[in-house]
Amino acid sequence: MLWIDGVLVSEGKGGVYGEKMLRNYRIWDPYRSKLAAYYYGGAGLELRKDEVVLYLGAANGTTVSHVADYTECVYAVELAPRPMQDLLAVAGKRKNIVPIMADASRPESYAPLLEPVDLLYMDVADPDQVGIASRNSLFLKQSGIALLMLKTRSIDVRKEPEDVLQESLAQLEEKECVIRETNWLLPYHQDHAAILFAKK
Amino acid sequence: MQSYWFGDLDEEGCHPFKGSLTDQVARLESIDWDPATYTPAEWEDAITCGYVKDRAEYLQKLRKLCFFIAEAKIGVYFRSKDIELVQMVRMLDELDDVINLLTERAVEWYRTKNPSFSRKYRSLSAKRVVQVMKKERDRTFGEIIADIEKLQESRTRLMREVTTLADTVLPNCSALIGGLVAARLISRAGSLEELSRLPASSIQVLGAQSALFSHMRTGSPPPKHGIIFQHRRVHNAGRDVRGRVARVLAAKLGIAARIDYFRQEIDHDFLESAQEAVDKAGGKKDALD
Repeated sequence: MLWIDGVLVSEGKGGVYGEKMLRNYRIWDPYRSKLAAYYYGGAGLELRKDEVVLYLGAANGTTVSHVADYTECVYAVELAPRPMQDLLAVAGKRKNIVPIMADASRPESYAPLLEPVDLLYMDVADPDQVGIASRNSLFLKQSGIALLMLKTRSIDVRKEPEDVLQESLAQLEEKECVIRETNWLLPYHQDHAAILFAKK
Repeated sequence: MQSYWFGDLDEEGCHPFKGSLTDQVARLESIDWDPATYTPAEWEDAITCGYVKDRAEYLQKLRKLCFFIAEAKIGVYFRSKDIELVQMVRMLDELDDVINLLTERAVEWYRTKNPSFSRKYRSLSAKRVVQVMKKERDRTFGEIIADIEKLQESRTRLMREVTTLADTVLPNCSALIGGLVAARLISRAGSLEELSRLPASSIQVLGAQSALFSHMRTGSPPPKHGIIFQHRRVHNAGRDVRGRVARVLAAKLGIAARIDYFRQEIDHDFLESAQEAVDKAGGKKDALD
């Protein structure tokens, strides 16, 4: 990852969503992007120039645009029409983003468009985040890795975030996943945990 | 055989897709998918297939297709009438806020010009107070008052349009609780489709989210009603039966929303029995037993 004096940046042409620039690099704000917060927390997963990424829950495409700066190609899945309009605008400027308007919980609706991916990144607000992750891990290469940004509040607001995390980890292990690492995204995002896992 | 966006792969080899983007989308939708046997396509397959010559062309063609699909879906979404209704009713509610805010500020300003003016012990409605202030001779002030009046007129017109549109888009819901409240329900749910998928218990407390979550978090009393409180049979009901009226009404609304979404026509038999049930719920408590 690219750091300039402790600030996470990415290459590429700026002015995508009004992000600030630092020496011609685009600043990647941890308060806006969970993935940036993950790196600020000291995580070691590197994005590589030859990687293909499946990004679920692409939203307006702000984080997607940074991921696209680092990788070969990003398949960005989003369902809601309003953010999709913004995502199309971002994808119009970056030739390595493939915008897919589909429901991430129904991989069958977009499976014929995809290729095997090196990284599955997931940031969706859904009670069944673990189920969505495991169904989509079908697209992972054997060497691939998945990064799940667990929104504990979307799973159950009544439970303690730590309990939700432990339950989700247990469910993932049941579904033949090997947990590599978990981190909370504090202080940048409340009640969000990053889970890094691979297929067995 | 495995089917991908660029063609079909089987033992004999690859059959690349030929045809227009529209045909390609139709074909994608018809592809049968079995998670047990499915393997994602390698992009190199498309070259073997003769569909593209390199990675750049693969991405370029795939992007073209995906843009086409997304733009078509967005178009369908924004053309549906209930989505426009949502925007109209949100605009209506914002207009109410803005008009109130401006009128209150104007009254404060007007008082400095007319020290003897007081609204406190006179029954001056928001509409009439604007009429009173119109007499002020200050030019800038007069212009602002005229603008407020214009906003009020637009607001009235918009409200009529919302009610008419709601009557056609949500005939059954509108018959039960009136077009305006029905439109507000849609606005809270997001769309008619989403409303039709909600359980009655959610419809009952739609618009009372903060009370609902405080109930779930801290165990405070649960809310009895959200937006449907605005309907006269709920807010006119006695305190002891209000919860029951809200519950029955929400149950009937859930059905009405589904008729509106899936059948798009008015169902008189259903409405008659639903109205009766709601009226009965509003009766005296022992009348039911």
